[in-house]
Amino acid sequence: MSAAGGPAVNPMQILALGLIGGLILLYLPVLVPLGPMLGPLLFALGAVVAIIWGADAIARVASYGLGTGVPSIGYMSLAIGVIGGIAGLAGALMFGSMSAWLGPIMGVVLAMIVGAVVALMGTQVLKMKIPILVRCTIELSGAAALSVLGFSAAIAGSLSMAAILSSVVATGFIALLFILNTMAIQHPFNACLGPQENRVRTLKLAGATAFMAMAIVGLLSLGISKAWWLVAIVGAVAWFYFIRAFIQASAKEAASVKWSGWWPEEDET
Amino acid sequence: MDPLFLILAVTAGGIAIGGGVHFIPVGGAPAAIATATGVGTGTAMLAAGGGMTGLITAAAATSSPNLLLIMLAGAAGSALMLGITMLVGNWVYVWGVACVPSSAKVDVDPITKYEQSKYVTPGTEGHGIPTVCFVSGIIGGLLGGAGGGLIYYALYNSLATLPVYAALPGASISIFAATVAGIFALGVFFVNAVIASYNIGGTIEGFHDPKFKRLPRGILACLIASLVTGIVGYLLVLGGAF
Repeated sequence: MSAAGGPAVNPMQILALGLIGGLILLYLPVLVPLGPMLGPLLFALGAVVAIIWGADAIARVASYGLGTGVPSIGYMSLAIGVIGGIAGLAGALMFGSMSAWLGPIMGVVLAMIVGAVVALMGTQVLKMKIPILVRCTIELSGAAALSVLGFSAAIAGSLSMAAILSSVVATGFIALLFILNTMAIQHPFNACLGPQENRVRTLKLAGATAFMAMAIVGLLSLGISKAWWLVAIVGAVAWFYFIRAFIQASAKEAASVKWSGWWPEEDET
Repeated sequence: MDPLFLILAVTAGGIAIGGGVHFIPVGGAPAAIATATGVGTGTAMLAAGGGMTGLITAAAATSSPNLLLIMLAGAAGSALMLGITMLVGNWVYVWGVACVPSSAKVDVDPITKYEQSKYVTPGTEGHGIPTVCFVSGIIGGLLGGAGGGLIYYALYNSLATLPVYAALPGASISIFAATVAGIFALGVFFVNAVIASYNIGGTIEGFHDPKFKRLPRGILACLIASLVTGIVGYLLVLGGAF
């Protein structure tokens, strides 16, 4: 789907960045004692890479035209991500508190399973004709779960169910993260779709929405986490970098239209 | 509480939500520019509005041990929110866009018996929310809200029995159990709303729409998806928090 001029983005690289990079960033503060400052920062960055992965997955599946708009699959995947993420964190404790470290992986896997079932319902029962629906919904659900877990841990300061329950779920921030991450994942493609969509430019916007969400998460953790200002400032600075890159890319591609006229009318999605 | 009750409640609630969405006049982007009948937005937005309001009203009845009361509270909240959305949307269509609420799917409104085809602008598929769509939308809101209330009730009461989720001293309800049950029910709401939305291909007018015949397929898809979600939800009860 990459348009003329822009280099293609390899979905496997983005998947590796989001899934493996996200899990490493989530687990690093658990395995290595990094202190109360660096831990939340890494958790939040884990969520950011997961959001970029999700934005790429949604761009691939929604370019087929779902008939329901881009946001709906974003909301659905975040719903699955929240359900899977919390159930994974809680479910890992059924083997005793020693197995709590399994939580995040279990959350991502559970979300992917539910995502696979929902997508299979779409292709097998509802006869939707989108060849990559199953794969992309699985990826999206995993990315959604990782992003929710990452931001939740950034607020709570730890990945334990008890900490997230008292400082993210009971405070109601979980509902905010639900909508915030949905917006961060679905907005980039929703804003950039069309015949001249350039995936690199879409992902620049994804970086901007992800870091903007991170900056807000930093503000939310004010009073809960000591690292709130660090998360907020790193998020805001990185947001500025990405939104600047996105605006420059948009201006550059608009210039080609300005010089050579409008593109021929074809494949309107 | 019996794990089977939780899983069955999530499944039944999911079916009620998925079935309810088939009743709601979702107009999508064409309705947003008044060239199709229904509310001018997608299912996800209507699920967000109706579902969240229903869950808030259901949660307000948490301290009641009566399942029926919680389901009724959820149904009232969702139906009220959808009713207000449709009514205010109609004001915009009638006084803002200046078109007559009319359906292109039927010649005569099945409820008011008013002629429809005369008022449909050529080249469009109707506009606004005529009476039959409004009534259908209210039914959808009632079903969806009751389903959300059922899921909330089942998970809240399953969690509240765990020592970890016990109510704080001086509180009559457990805030932890209520918020977890609320966000879980909201998630199930969105999943089933979008599955139903896939089934209707994005837009539907209500129970008089020919697309409504696809309901059994949508119910089957929601049943299986909610069953799996219910089993995943049981892990919340199985694991606890510590």
